[in-house]
Amino acid sequence: MYTAAALAILVTMGLALVRALLGPGVYDRVLAVNMLGTKTTLLLAVVAFLYGWPDFLDLALAYALINFVGVLAVLEFFQNRARADEP
Amino acid sequence: MITVFGIFLLSLLVITALAIVQTRNLFVAVMLAAIFSLLMAANFFILDAADVALTEAAVGAGVTTVILLSALALTAEREKRSGSIRWISVAVVAVTVLILIYATFDKPALGDPDAPVHQHVAPWYLEKTPVFMDIPNVVTAVLASFRGYDTLGEVFVVFVAMVGVLFVLGGDGGRSGPITTPDPGLRHHLIPKVVGRLLLPFIILFGLYVQFHGEYGPGGGFQAGAIIATGLILHALLEGEQAALRSVPAGAMQALVVAGASLYGGVGVACMLLGGSFLDYSVLHPDPVTGRQIGIIAIELGVGMAVCGALLSIFHAFAAREH
Repeated sequence: MYTAAALAILVTMGLALVRALLGPGVYDRVLAVNMLGTKTTLLLAVVAFLYGWPDFLDLALAYALINFVGVLAVLEFFQNRARADEP
Repeated sequence: MITVFGIFLLSLLVITALAIVQTRNLFVAVMLAAIFSLLMAANFFILDAADVALTEAAVGAGVTTVILLSALALTAEREKRSGSIRWISVAVVAVTVLILIYATFDKPALGDPDAPVHQHVAPWYLEKTPVFMDIPNVVTAVLASFRGYDTLGEVFVVFVAMVGVLFVLGGDGGRSGPITTPDPGLRHHLIPKVVGRLLLPFIILFGLYVQFHGEYGPGGGFQAGAIIATGLILHALLEGEQAALRSVPAGAMQALVVAGASLYGGVGVACMLLGGSFLDYSVLHPDPVTGRQIGIIAIELGVGMAVCGALLSIFHAFAAREH
């Protein structure tokens, strides 16, 4: 069952990568990055159980905690750019 | 199964790398670089290199994207078209690639126990770590004790990197007068604010866990320093540049790097004063095994402080330049 889950996650990662490559908009890409982040977290968790290394769940935890910082940085980047364009 | 995962993830990695080279839009390149880092971490994890995967997670998931975006804010969004194709460069690259591909034919199979890398010092490390240090994570033992000189060198590389960035970007610790544009951060946006404030203490706590649990699980000073730095960068993104610099002044970050590097070197000197050789921790305690454990914890702390301070300094140097 873990194998099936891992394969499904890999396929989802592939689809998210397609969206990141094709775009077309900024938000498509931001969402794709965010989605790949969540899928990586899930993949690490599933593989950790698949191979019986539950200790390595720490890594999935690390991703779960700090993944969105990059997305916040993107939002701040566009906020600053929009403010710079205003006057 | 592991082969299928590996092939799939490596193919995605190659596609992403080609796309990064091909795109002219630098923002897209930054986003693809973030994806590259995620895929790389998943690859490391599948190869059972948990410590490296955690480093990639800690640095790639947050800090790299933030710093690349800060750099992007200082430049144009699109790459300039370069002129004609430089045929000599193409030829050099093509020849190198062919030589490298030819070299892989002699490479031993993945995980082959007879491969040279598994015959050299690795068996000795695996055998002696329980005897010398009595800690389960051999990676930490190798990094902090057996090859402590290398890690000391790496800490000074981090130190030099920070000094270099501060020189280039003119980071003078925020003494160049008031910042002209007020930076509101994201605190006017409800969801980032609430989620960020909720997660911040847990990120710091997790960083401390990785720092002090490095001998038992994946992790150690490098990863912990990067995670804590990510937490403080999150604070800076939410509350704005000035508020973050008020809580952790630029001088404090630079002092942290110097203190971390000095702590590492100081442990080495302390070992010499106690009659051992440089970074021979066994003299730190009457029981050599406990002495080595004390030494590892002390130098991991030094590494963590240096990495955290350096990443924060680099981030703030870019951010100060932006405003």
